Amino acid sequence: MSEVREVARKLLTDGTVRVIVGWEDARRGARPVFVTDPADTERLIFDTRCVHNLVTYLNPRRDNVAELGKIGLVVKGCDAKAVAGLLREAQLTRDDVVLIGVRCGGVLEEAELPKAASLSPENVAPRCYGCDNREPELVDHLLGESQPEPPRPVMTIDERVAALDAQPLEERWAFWTEQFSKCVRCYACRQVCPLCVCERCVAEKSRPQWIEAPPHPRGNLSWNITRALHLAGRCVDCGECERFCPVGIPLSLVNRKLQHIVAERYGYTVSDDPESPAPIGDYRLDDKQEFIK
Amino acid sequence: MTDATRETYFISDDDLRALAGDLLSAGTEVIAPVAVDVCASPSAIASSACLRPGVAPVDIEYRALADAAELDLSRGLPVLSLKQYFLPGHEALCCWRQHGTEVEIEAVPTTFAPRVVLAAKSCDSAALAIVDKVMNWDYQDELWNGRREATTIVNLACPVVDESCFCTAVGTAPDDVKGADALLTPVEGGYLMEATTDKGRVLMEAHGARFKAETDTHGAKHRGRQAAEERAAARARVAANLEIDAESVREWIDAHFEDPLLAALGVRCNGCGACSSVCPTCHCFDIVDEEEGIGKGTRRRCWDTCQAPTFTLHASGHNPRDDQHSRYRQRINHKFAIYPLKFGEVLCTGCGRCTRACHAGQDLVEILQAIDIAARRPDAAAAAVAGAEPAGS
Repeated sequence: MSEVREVARKLLTDGTVRVIVGWEDARRGARPVFVTDPADTERLIFDTRCVHNLVTYLNPRRDNVAELGKIGLVVKGCDAKAVAGLLREAQLTRDDVVLIGVRCGGVLEEAELPKAASLSPENVAPRCYGCDNREPELVDHLLGESQPEPPRPVMTIDERVAALDAQPLEERWAFWTEQFSKCVRCYACRQVCPLCVCERCVAEKSRPQWIEAPPHPRGNLSWNITRALHLAGRCVDCGECERFCPVGIPLSLVNRKLQHIVAERYGYTVSDDPESPAPIGDYRLDDKQEFIK
Repeated sequence: MTDATRETYFISDDDLRALAGDLLSAGTEVIAPVAVDVCASPSAIASSACLRPGVAPVDIEYRALADAAELDLSRGLPVLSLKQYFLPGHEALCCWRQHGTEVEIEAVPTTFAPRVVLAAKSCDSAALAIVDKVMNWDYQDELWNGRREATTIVNLACPVVDESCFCTAVGTAPDDVKGADALLTPVEGGYLMEATTDKGRVLMEAHGARFKAETDTHGAKHRGRQAAEERAAARARVAANLEIDAESVREWIDAHFEDPLLAALGVRCNGCGACSSVCPTCHCFDIVDEEEGIGKGTRRRCWDTCQAPTFTLHASGHNPRDDQHSRYRQRINHKFAIYPLKFGEVLCTGCGRCTRACHAGQDLVEILQAIDIAARRPDAAAAAVAGAEPAGS
């Protein structure tokens, strides 16, 4: 996309930023790229394979990115919500980053494809359905043509969550037990999450050992439930945890269920407005408290 | 092992499956690739791929067969390597129980019932032979060795999976028998099987009725040619993906610890360790004590990864590898310089799983290619950095 390249070249040339974090076309498909030389901006692309939420590279844990200098980051609308999350939680100040927003009509489920494809119910990332942020507002530059709504996937995430909810407790338990039994505890879900910002994860504490390290059912259940709850009301539904999971645990179903609960109990939906207080950092007199007995 | 002892036998498709059945009937555990229907109930809702019309997706996994019919001979690559059957994701090392001031230790068994692996990938069996060295370097790892001794491994010549395979670049091959006891090569109507160790010969002799000796007949010659062609074609296919001089790569890495090509690889990497989990040769483990109630518990080991900051975090708070650049360099350094220096073998069998598992685009084929260019043509090193160093500058 020539507009992204032009803006990136200008920002690097005039010294506004030292590195552009965007996407490039590589041997196995689209992947993140870190461009520091204006001449290399030709490598930048934006197409339906640009699935990655690059905001993970703004995470304060990513010191190897920070040391490259001020960042110009290419973001889709969903990604901008993660930037807002970091701002809301004081992990970032707005002047630390130049945001190059791209209008987005949805992305594919897979980035590792030789060529971009137009979206269909069969190949669209299910999270894109019903996207409320196709034109991010938080950005410094908004590029590209206005995009149509992403297609409806064969079955939406909400429909899948509803189908699970409709099952009896024992069946739901059997489903999640089977899914979490696959976990190898590589922590890819945590590492790639733009909002897993803890310098030291509770999973790494050994005195006391809150979460057992071995990938047995007990340890896996503790880890997966803890991860999900720590993201409740914070998760922006970028789906990177699920995409990076080497064993295919459907984490987006857990995340979506928690979004529903947060919406119902706190009337809160994650947006790219950093000023809207998230329930985890906000107290209201009318917060539901019937669980206090 | 001389070629004379590598006698070749023919086994039909049906007989191979029947062989698995015979073993199971005799109570022998058989581990083999199984096509797991990821869309089987109750998991279907887990994968959006299952909700699409058309061909249902399958994952190939090494599993203990419940029935010989499960044996999958499609020759696809299992998601996780064979490693999990020799170094499980977690296992008990001992249990303890306190009685006042006394501690009673209950050991775990270190001998295992005989078992057979059928249709293993050469990259997975070769990895076991490579890891044998570190498992017997100083301390003899009884659990690893016990499982190795109890297991007879039959490889199935691989057709090469995709563009991320590079076994021939690291000293093995799609039809290698390293770490295995016998090799199957597909031919018309079945497979040619040759045993390369005593364990392999014992297995074939015990099930002799399932095999036909390949005598000097027209059919046998035809099958022999077919197998040789199949194997040569697979080798050529994988060699086209990557060719490196492993010795030059080792020397270059050893001499270029601070080179940007090696020291700035971590920028794209999320440090998740999925690469280590799927790697057939990554063998590092952590040991944890799990209390199970008061005064009793289990000491376990579980997979660990050098990509995690805590891997090298000292009790003092100091961390010698405190950024992802140094952690990713360690991964390359250990596999392609440290291990070969110590044990004479590269700690990688070119299965490509790390590259396929990495959705951030960390690509070992590309990295090795760049190091190889730098190693062979020092004048081209700068160009290689520009081409492959993820900072893109």
